[in-house]
Amino acid sequence: MSSGDLKFYYFDLQARGELTRLILAAAGRSYEDIRFGFDKWPEYKPKMILGQAPVLELADGTQLPQSLTIARYVAREAGLAGSDNLESAKIDAVVDTQKDVNETYFSKVFPEKDETKKAEELKKFLDETVTKHVENLGKLKKAYSKDEKYFVGDKLSWADLFVFQSIQALLQAVPEVKGKFGEQFKPLMDAINGNENIKKYLDARPQTAF
Amino acid sequence: MPSYKLYYFNGRGRAEVARLIFAAAGEKYEDVRYERDQWPAHKAEMPLGQMPVLEVDGVKLPQSLSIARFLAKQFHLAGKDNFEQAQVDAVVDTIYDCLTKYVPIRFETDEAKKEELTKKFLAEELPKHLQNFETLGKLYGKGGHFFVGKQLTWADLLFFDVGAIILQVDSNAFNNHAWLKQNRAEVEKQPKIAEYLKNRPQTQF
Repeated sequence: MSSGDLKFYYFDLQARGELTRLILAAAGRSYEDIRFGFDKWPEYKPKMILGQAPVLELADGTQLPQSLTIARYVAREAGLAGSDNLESAKIDAVVDTQKDVNETYFSKVFPEKDETKKAEELKKFLDETVTKHVENLGKLKKAYSKDEKYFVGDKLSWADLFVFQSIQALLQAVPEVKGKFGEQFKPLMDAINGNENIKKYLDARPQTAF
Repeated sequence: MPSYKLYYFNGRGRAEVARLIFAAAGEKYEDVRYERDQWPAHKAEMPLGQMPVLEVDGVKLPQSLSIARFLAKQFHLAGKDNFEQAQVDAVVDTIYDCLTKYVPIRFETDEAKKEELTKKFLAEELPKHLQNFETLGKLYGKGGHFFVGKQLTWADLLFFDVGAIILQVDSNAFNNHAWLKQNRAEVEKQPKIAEYLKNRPQTQF
């Protein structure tokens, strides 16, 4: 498979691009990982289908926008999206649940410029949002998992990678969150960190601010 | 044949796209609607203490878009291959981005602030979302009236539903968007949808 097959356009950041990169890594799929700084964005923006990034471009030039749509597509191609429609839906439900929390952080905490207000929002986020979220993830895992590691069924899916990436990103941004996840996701994190393809990717990926 | 049960409030809200999918597919389901005062008694029965929830053969699924995508795939309204499904998902996410921007405004309790935010949304936010919808429809729709691949998918049903909300805010919203107007007209005239729209309960939201 030539990397001319697939082009992934995003900033030189993790943020909304990293999930797709992790899925492609897990799948052992080669692709062109096109990364640019904010200074280069004005050059790329007009070439992106909705003037936004990330974008996935196929060999014939067709483009897909929307980070989670892209992630779901490459996950499906790689067999990381469940073995039937119901499993895919359970995976989507875990993804949507994690997404809700990420969006809460990005809309309420991250953009707040006033230091006092930001500390307030962060405390609320940690005490209320994250606490409830860890509970919710636990409930979904209990309902959908067939083993102690993965969220749905008994194999790795892109829901696991999304939770993994989100927790890592949150830990980097807010180290105080460390204790909130307890031990319940440790088997999952260990399994992902130990996955040969993923480990290779994690060891080699560029260090970025977020 | 699986049995389906959809749980939501007595309103369209975040469940209506699932109801439209059932209707378009001509598929049966139990349409459970809780009034506000009934909800507290049932909250603990739902996986995340929220609705909508779809129960399929005893398995409960939360999250409105995950539910809709599942049903659409069950009933062949999701796109005919993996890439078409992704195009449908891209349209859905783009529609949802617009809705996400509007929802906090809709629920603003200060009337003066709400009016100001609504004006700002209509002038600054909405036009670029509508432009994005048309860009995707024209590209993925291959010259047809539907968003993806010349046939009805749940992307069209979601746009029909969200479009109604937009038109409530500004009845002229689509005046400069003939493609979007035409798309909604095509959905509305599908016989099973027309029948459903005629008979569905009239609710506040």
